[in-house]
Amino acid sequence: MITLNVNNKNYEVDVDPNMPLLWAIRDVIGLTGTKYGCGVAQCGACTVHLDSEAVRSCVTRVSRAEGQKITTIEGLSENNDHPLQIAWNELSVPQCGYCHSGQLMSAAVLLRENPNPTDEDIDDAMAGNICRCGTYLRIRKAIHLAANMQKNGNTKG
Amino acid sequence: MKQPSEIKSPNILSVKKVLVISLMLCCIVIIASAFKQKINSPGIAIAVNIANDDSATSAQAFLQVYSVLMSPRCMNCHPAGNRPLQGDDNHIHTMNVQRGKDGKGLYALKCSNCHQAENTAGLHTPPGNPKWQLPPADMKMVFQGKSAHDLALQIMDYNRNGHKNKEQLLEHARDTLVKAGWNMGGDRTPPPLAYDDFVKAWDTWINNGGYAPPAK
Amino acid sequence: MIQGLKNKTTSRRNFLRSAGLTSTALFLGMYLPAGAKTSKVVNLGDDVDEDGIEMNPWVIIDTNGRVTLVSHRAEMGQGVYQSIPQIIAEELEVNLKDVHIKFAQGNGKKYGSQITGGSSTIRGSYKNLLKLSATARVMLIQAAANKWKVPLTECYAEAGNVFHKPSGKKYNYGELVTDASKLHVPDNVKLKERSEYKLIGKPLLRKDAALKTNGTAGFGLDKRVPGMLFACVERNPRLRGKVKSFDDSDARAIPGVKDVFKVTMKVFNTDREGVAVVATSTWAALQGRKALKVFWDDSGFEHINSTDIYQRHEDILKNKDGLVFKEQGDVNSIFSQASDKLDVIYQTPYESHAAMEPLNCVAYYQNDKIEIWGPIQAPDWVQDFISKEFNLPAEKVIVNMTFLGGGFGRKAFLDYPHEATLISKQIGVPVQVVWTREDDIMQGPFRPGMSYRCEGVVNNGKIDAFRMKLAGQNMDNFQSDDRSKPNESSSEGFLKPYFDSIKNISIQDVPFETPVPVMWWRSVYASTNGFAYESFMDELALAAGADPIEFRKQHLNNDRLHKQLDKLIEVSGWKNRKKNEGYGMAITECFESPVAQVVKVSKNPDGGIKVDHVWAVMDCGWYVNPDIIKAQVEGSIIMALGAATIHEITFKDGLPEQHNFYDYHMPRITDIPPIDVFVMDNDADAGGVGEPGLPAFSPALTNAIFDLTGKRIRKLPFSLAEI
Repeated sequence: MITLNVNNKNYEVDVDPNMPLLWAIRDVIGLTGTKYGCGVAQCGACTVHLDSEAVRSCVTRVSRAEGQKITTIEGLSENNDHPLQIAWNELSVPQCGYCHSGQLMSAAVLLRENPNPTDEDIDDAMAGNICRCGTYLRIRKAIHLAANMQKNGNTKG
Repeated sequence: MKQPSEIKSPNILSVKKVLVISLMLCCIVIIASAFKQKINSPGIAIAVNIANDDSATSAQAFLQVYSVLMSPRCMNCHPAGNRPLQGDDNHIHTMNVQRGKDGKGLYALKCSNCHQAENTAGLHTPPGNPKWQLPPADMKMVFQGKSAHDLALQIMDYNRNGHKNKEQLLEHARDTLVKAGWNMGGDRTPPPLAYDDFVKAWDTWINNGGYAPPAK
Repeated sequence: MIQGLKNKTTSRRNFLRSAGLTSTALFLGMYLPAGAKTSKVVNLGDDVDEDGIEMNPWVIIDTNGRVTLVSHRAEMGQGVYQSIPQIIAEELEVNLKDVHIKFAQGNGKKYGSQITGGSSTIRGSYKNLLKLSATARVMLIQAAANKWKVPLTECYAEAGNVFHKPSGKKYNYGELVTDASKLHVPDNVKLKERSEYKLIGKPLLRKDAALKTNGTAGFGLDKRVPGMLFACVERNPRLRGKVKSFDDSDARAIPGVKDVFKVTMKVFNTDREGVAVVATSTWAALQGRKALKVFWDDSGFEHINSTDIYQRHEDILKNKDGLVFKEQGDVNSIFSQASDKLDVIYQTPYESHAAMEPLNCVAYYQNDKIEIWGPIQAPDWVQDFISKEFNLPAEKVIVNMTFLGGGFGRKAFLDYPHEATLISKQIGVPVQVVWTREDDIMQGPFRPGMSYRCEGVVNNGKIDAFRMKLAGQNMDNFQSDDRSKPNESSSEGFLKPYFDSIKNISIQDVPFETPVPVMWWRSVYASTNGFAYESFMDELALAAGADPIEFRKQHLNNDRLHKQLDKLIEVSGWKNRKKNEGYGMAITECFESPVAQVVKVSKNPDGGIKVDHVWAVMDCGWYVNPDIIKAQVEGSIIMALGAATIHEITFKDGLPEQHNFYDYHMPRITDIPPIDVFVMDNDADAGGVGEPGLPAFSPALTNAIFDLTGKRIRKLPFSLAEI
């Protein structure tokens, strides 16, 4: 049995410690907001926070996550009110929506470490996340919007 | 046996001084070699100038070391720019990955977000090591584009090699991240020398004075 | 499915319950009486004879005033989740937030065509939706007027209520539905004028964004059914080979692996063989598959190489006449007399769809019933196909649509639900079949690689003769044995008014086949035709010494297109182009919507070409939500950018050479130029939105590169960095 702490809740999972965290989260724990996109750390759809870092859960073994704080898209905020989530909604960023769990989890690390990101900072943070629908321009705009909201204290952030 | 002196900054030593010291002590100061080299016409080996038998052995050994350092397994994380390289063709790492201040990437694209403590199984998956990173921004230790001559001087330069003294340099060949270059998984071509032969060449190079091969 | 009143009532109650509605409701649907041209609104509470009718979308208002639309089309990013409620709320006079969408199950008899393809969601249903909603509103007002015993003209509807103007009294819709449901359904209710719209035409926010930002949107891969197992399938990598044998001893030793067996699904009219590994988790199934050894028989079909494909295209384009799709005037005699004839070949690559959600499907085969859940673009086709394959009546095949994590045409095929059903049948429990990214990229069907031979003569600044011969795999050939007809889509993307101005024209299809399965990819043939037609048009404009946009206008005698091109000139600064800036334009049409684009490029200081800006002008006629339209055009342009400059599928010895995003690269945020999209306003019927923005981009880009460098790019993809 391995204990995984996901979104501040402990789960006892009986899995191969080499199983990628992605499948443990989706198939065993049953939180399906984290997506499978490529399985080889190329697309970022599976991004979760492991002790606050935006790791690719498709190549991160369960054994690495044991004893650490895992946050998935379901735990990014309590009421879908992280500044990024609000901005994503206000700019109608998603199309099919499949990649956006990962996009948001990546953007959240950027915004935490750099509350006023430039376009270049956004490039440096977000080029690991693929969006096949091509919502990139809106992602960029939404990150700027979220940064402004955070700065102006419009949300609890 | 000559003892290479403590590696010192070339900035604080004038060329003349260095020459004097090296002659007086009859001991090769590696950094001095660099400067001597610079003031000599290109193509002439330092060893010959200093009339030291070991310099040829040392410089020769470095050429072997150099073939390893320039292999993609080493060079890809010692790029000329601020982005790591990838693949046997040394293409710029996809995803716009950046060095970052500490050499560990930026924001959501930190090295260890994909590169695990161990290799991930399969082809084209991220190779891994607990220490996976680039040299930090204030000590870039660039390999890419460097001649054997320049790279040898750089590695022997305390101020450009991550502040390593001789012992630390010798130790560096035994570092687990360096060693990982021979086991990066997938179909990645290993460096051209076997690991043990690399260590042997590295030691030979340093223990015989850490000479730079001639500039071309 | 609905046979007689009793069954219908039961099914209606079940439906209402499953949709979370109260069991009394105003329950309106559309139907097209057999032989009739216009559809009628029908009260589904009545005992109507439904023989020979096709029901279209349903709108249900329950006694709580909750409005539910049963969407017969899928949401795959194109915005039906927002745009359809926007239409309904407008004519029904309710608050947008009170309109809820429920995805219909597959049922071609009831809903008519359900394929979410051909950019048809809105253009195919908006008139019905308007009529349906307006009819419901009129019935609710009538019910209120009857209750108050006042003239109908004194009542009006607003925000889910009916008001009596003189007295200020009101009823909310919930209080009226029981009475309204007993009323006769009026014919020909008056619809609002465009100027009266409060919601339609406004850039309102997408309703599904909330679900797609907190992990709650349910995609196919997220579907969970009690007792469900997971499966992966090792399919023949050359796509047409057979399983000779397999060794599953290591695979079965993987913890969690439950069974390993051969499975053969249908891909159009061919069989695709593979070996399925069924396990308790996706990971276990993947591990089992890795441990599996399959020996293939790859005899009996050609193992194709990409280089051979394009060489053969060129050979047949030079040496063979094609099947004639369009012929007018006398192209040959003009060509034979012309001193200067342009004669060039354009080529485009094979492509994978590579939607972010890899293919997947959950199926549960029970002896007398099959239920399917998945990201499915055409649930009615799946229902029809599965019922035939498994010999069950259609109503025993229940096909549920989830959200689609992208489709782009691939999720309109029937293979993956078929395979999932076969696996569930074998193992006897519900199974989710997961395609890996590699499966998704390498297993096809692909957009076919095409070659175009373009010949033309210009005289006095006008096109005198024009011949287009295309060689490439015809997508229809995988579904039909008829080889006598030319490819009907050989001019898709090309604006029809050109046919009026170019007197001598010939469009031919030179038949070409390989064993590689091919099928629709966003904007279908226009996605490749557009590159050839509109690049060549640029070459002809150059030969004529004309400005590229003016040249188009001269050959497109059509007011609507002229307005669109004038808008493009205005917004792109076409006439104020500066030195060292390359400007290129193109205009294409598909699915009833012409789109014109200008791309601006410059030389990158580090070498290569930089795309500085894209302007797109979309004319889709009547429209619902300009923001969704802009998003669709932005996305189409980015998808086109990828296919023009970043990725392609190639074959060697019959094997696709790309595997995953490490060698089938996608555009990333760092690759995207600023894009400005403008939507024309006019009274034309609604055209498509999801696809028409794609084809004009690549020719506009390469035309811009020519403008800057004098280098004409005739083969896609090419590298921007290497120019």
